[in-house]
Amino acid sequence: MTHYGMMIDVSTCAGCDACVMACKYQNATPHGMYWCKVIKGEYGTYPNSGQTVLPIGCQHCTNAPCVRACPTGASHYDENGNVQVDYDKCIGCRMCMGACPYGAREFNWGSMDENPYYEGFEQTPYEQMRASEHPRGVVEKCVMCNGRTAQGKEPACVQTCITKSRVFGDLDDPDSEICKQIAEKGAHPLMEELGTRPSVYYVGLQ
Amino acid sequence: MAKTDIAGTAPRRPFSKTMLAVFAAITAVGVGCWVWQLMSGLQVTGLSDTNNWGSYMIFFMFFVGLSAGGLIVASSAHVFNIEPFKKVALPAVICSTVCICLAAAFVLVDLGGIQNIWRLFTGPNFASPLIWDVCVISLYLIINILDIVWIVKGDERKVNVLSRFALPTAIAVHSVTAWIFGLQIARTWNTAIMAPIFVASACDSGLALLILALVWLERRNIFRTGEKLFKSLSGLLAVFIAVDAFFIGCELLTMGYPGGSEAEALKVMAFGATAPFFWFEVVFGLVVPFVILVFAKNREKRGLVILASALVVLGVFCKRVWLMLTAFIAPYAEHVPTMMTDYLSYDAMTFGSVAPFYTPTLPELGITVGVLALGVLVFMVLCNVLLGKASADPAPAVAQKSEG
Repeated sequence: MTHYGMMIDVSTCAGCDACVMACKYQNATPHGMYWCKVIKGEYGTYPNSGQTVLPIGCQHCTNAPCVRACPTGASHYDENGNVQVDYDKCIGCRMCMGACPYGAREFNWGSMDENPYYEGFEQTPYEQMRASEHPRGVVEKCVMCNGRTAQGKEPACVQTCITKSRVFGDLDDPDSEICKQIAEKGAHPLMEELGTRPSVYYVGLQ
Repeated sequence: MAKTDIAGTAPRRPFSKTMLAVFAAITAVGVGCWVWQLMSGLQVTGLSDTNNWGSYMIFFMFFVGLSAGGLIVASSAHVFNIEPFKKVALPAVICSTVCICLAAAFVLVDLGGIQNIWRLFTGPNFASPLIWDVCVISLYLIINILDIVWIVKGDERKVNVLSRFALPTAIAVHSVTAWIFGLQIARTWNTAIMAPIFVASACDSGLALLILALVWLERRNIFRTGEKLFKSLSGLLAVFIAVDAFFIGCELLTMGYPGGSEAEALKVMAFGATAPFFWFEVVFGLVVPFVILVFAKNREKRGLVILASALVVLGVFCKRVWLMLTAFIAPYAEHVPTMMTDYLSYDAMTFGSVAPFYTPTLPELGITVGVLALGVLVFMVLCNVLLGKASADPAPAVAQKSEG
């Protein structure tokens, strides 16, 4: 079995948001919707202060609260051990949004043709082409770029990362680069104590 | 028409066509708003990804509670053979049926993909508390309707048997609603006492609503409850309020005592954004009505009983508001890295600042008011039709006279 996962080294993340933009371009997500986010924070008081970054999206839990909560089975595990949403089955009850501890899920409140990227302008041809991928009234989230991985490519955020802070691979293969790095750097998932068993690991969190 | 001797000397005044028309008109406006929402999507509401459930789900919780409370009183009368309470069984079950239909309606208007709703039946995920709720609410509705039919027919034996199923189902229906929230590890809702709290608040708000409905029906001489029964219902309400307050107190102490991250959520409730709702509930929803009703003398004064009942209903509504919204303002209290909470809980400590997270919009309020008006409309029609028939039944008339 393959089990796709990701390791993010926050200590080398520059907070450039390139992954956020790569994700938007790859998945053509609607205006205001971000499957991949980089949360910025600050700590301390001057002069003992600094900035923090936290790249975050769906953690693709293997004991996912959202999959349990979904009444119709729209949220489900795919063959790669990742969590996916079947929009045809989604009734838009938003139960999964309440269930997710990571705030990874976003709802399509309106439709794409009413909310173009550039306010006051028509949709771009690219938006028009891909609007049908984001139906109104369903919950969306990171899909671990399942279209790209099926072609043997890495997810867009991993490919684009300028500091190589993201590592993608098969968690079930002990010889994979990601498994080696997780062991070597001592990476852990976020909020491990909840028992959600995420497929995304972090190292270097402050 | 019904016999007026039941209602005392004054003639029975059923709800007039004008009243029905007014509420039908409000309902129509609500339906209009709903059609607009269906056409434009849920973007017409004040909901957002940060605060993804709002007034619809608050009213859903509220009405499941109101409904369960009514049926608990009605079925207890038969299960425990409390003779005087049996008299109000019919108005109680009518009240409860209307409320559960409203609860279901509030879920339906909250759905973003209502066109896919058949998926609930073709591919249900039985691990989801929402599916449990669909099952138990359906069962509950069937029991309610059978109850009405058999009470109206006067089939005492069937009502007795049915009540033995109705009581546990009424408790289950509100427990399952509590679990929709209480089983989510991500939120401050995640506590084992959620179901007991919901059942306790169902009992007090449901009984309080029943008392208000009975007062209204008595004023219009549609149904006469009698002083003695009002007094004992008020006494029961005082007990229910005390139980509710006890459970809430247990939960608040457990949240606040360790002084850790759960205490942060308590701070938002006590001093922050949802504080107005929290303190209204504690002071006017629990303390004041309890202090009024705990004295036997006050329970004889109709005005005070009405005031206390209205405060309990409003108080429990406020509780639904703070319960729902605090969880979105102070999310993931326990475990999240601090930078994530910073990002998600801006302004949470400004007193009464629910607005930055969620303000219901006009169409949203239109739909809400429309559904409420539909409920009042159906209640009036059912009372006009059913309570007329029941009053004609000689059996309760005898009970009525013997009571004086």
